[in-house]
Amino acid sequence: MSRGRGTFVAAACAVVALPYAWVLLAAFKGPAALNDPGRLAFTPTLENWREIFSAGVIGSAGTSLLVALVTVGLSLLVGTPGAYAISRFRAGGTATRFGILLSQVLPPAVLVVPLFLVAFTLDVRDTPQVVIASHLTFVLPVVTWFLIGFFDAVPRSFEEQAMIDGYGRFAAFRLVVLPQVMPGIGAAAIFGFVLSWNDLFYALVLAGGNAKTLPVSIAGFNTFRGVELGAMCAAILVSVVPVMLACFFVQRRLVRGLSGGGLKY
Amino acid sequence: MLRRFPIRYRFLAPLVVLLALVVAYPLGYSVWLSLTDRTITRPETSFVGLEQYGSLLTNGGYGTAMRNTLVFVVFAVGIELALGLALALALQRQRWARDATRAFLLTPMFVTPIAVGLMFRFLLNGQLGPIPAALGSVGLSVDFFGTALALPTIVAIDVWQWTPFMVLLLLAGLESLPRQPFEAAKVDGASAWLTFTRVTLPLLRPVIAIAILLRALDAFKVFEYVFATTRGGPGDATDTLQYLIYRTGFQFFRLGEAAAMGFVLVGLVLLLVTILYRTLLRQEARA
Repeated sequence: MSRGRGTFVAAACAVVALPYAWVLLAAFKGPAALNDPGRLAFTPTLENWREIFSAGVIGSAGTSLLVALVTVGLSLLVGTPGAYAISRFRAGGTATRFGILLSQVLPPAVLVVPLFLVAFTLDVRDTPQVVIASHLTFVLPVVTWFLIGFFDAVPRSFEEQAMIDGYGRFAAFRLVVLPQVMPGIGAAAIFGFVLSWNDLFYALVLAGGNAKTLPVSIAGFNTFRGVELGAMCAAILVSVVPVMLACFFVQRRLVRGLSGGGLKY
Repeated sequence: MLRRFPIRYRFLAPLVVLLALVVAYPLGYSVWLSLTDRTITRPETSFVGLEQYGSLLTNGGYGTAMRNTLVFVVFAVGIELALGLALALALQRQRWARDATRAFLLTPMFVTPIAVGLMFRFLLNGQLGPIPAALGSVGLSVDFFGTALALPTIVAIDVWQWTPFMVLLLLAGLESLPRQPFEAAKVDGASAWLTFTRVTLPLLRPVIAIAILLRALDAFKVFEYVFATTRGGPGDATDTLQYLIYRTGFQFFRLGEAAAMGFVLVGLVLLLVTILYRTLLRQEARA
């Protein structure tokens, strides 16, 4: 029984590790080694990394970073007080809660067509601004949903005590409640960042040129000039490594956020 | 002036305004578009009522995409749930390298989906891929992106990336269950299987419902794997709704039709939310 369990977990680890190992190796392989999957030994090369520098991948990573940071910043600025009002005062009632849940589940296919036309009319196609607007459609509801759950977990008596001690409503929120949910805000920020950083659909439709984000850039290695497998793998590493490091620290809090506070880990 | 409003509305207002701007306005615009014959190539647009929706009923390609999407969602979420539950149970008892194993097994859900799609496209590629090469050395020849296997392959890619999400939620659920029912089952001499089906599963039901809901909602939007691997082919074997909408809207520029397709997808998603939400609420009312 116990041995079976160990084997199962080990097999799962191997299945997860195999694609990582392949990408990691391919990012340092030359064309000859890439075209011969049966061969195990190869001479490592930095050719692929030179290639992605000259192909503008670093620029796309910068665009992705800018888009994700602004999207998350705006979402936190607007979502934190909103989530507090919804959690504490049931402001806006069930309709607001349902609206937030609904915008979280809307398929991007519905919103992308009007966003495309608005971008066309305002002549802001292929800019970071329009990608930020499109990413707000899913990051803002998710971040707010996360935060409602975290605010729900702060006991009311905390602010009541603070207000008895002479704090105003706003001061009680800023100085007593906010520090309590800081870990939650951190988790929500990282989760929102990952959602924005990983999005392909909106960025592909709204900004395929100068303002292309990293996922669009990665997809591009597959479309033009044949396949440049090694460079593509190097670009994948640029995209994946920072995100994994960030997520490593917040996975426990993700659970509570994802379930809207319904579950603790 | 501002002071006349209670703090709750001052706190809520920016959120509502921004959501109205980036979600409600495009949504309304989209409803209007779905009632027109708007295309990019023709300047004049006319109101056609429900014609776009009507024509979807007789659109064979749309029917295929719908069927593919439903098959994809059912199989992907079903397999992820089964595997995720098994893994969560195994990880719950794991002691050796506990945190490192958990952290490592969760990593796939953070990889950008287009990268996952492309990784598997080449891992499974007939000429370049190590997996067909390894199978070939034992005399097996498998075309992972042929007509018969393309959709199952895309399901498998989704399973690789999103089973960890199920594990994350189910493991959290398992670890927050009360101890007493398990101790009682042990005292009564219940077998491991009986304990699992009569104690663990019923207690875990709300968590399972949330996990299925969140996963299914996401699976309906499958796009990246199809875009990275098969582009809907061979033929229309892997054409999914989201991919068809992308092509209709942004390769053929039939925006009205794309919007209408989107709203049928919204209808499906809402139906699913209602069904799962109800089963969830009924469970809570009983408890």
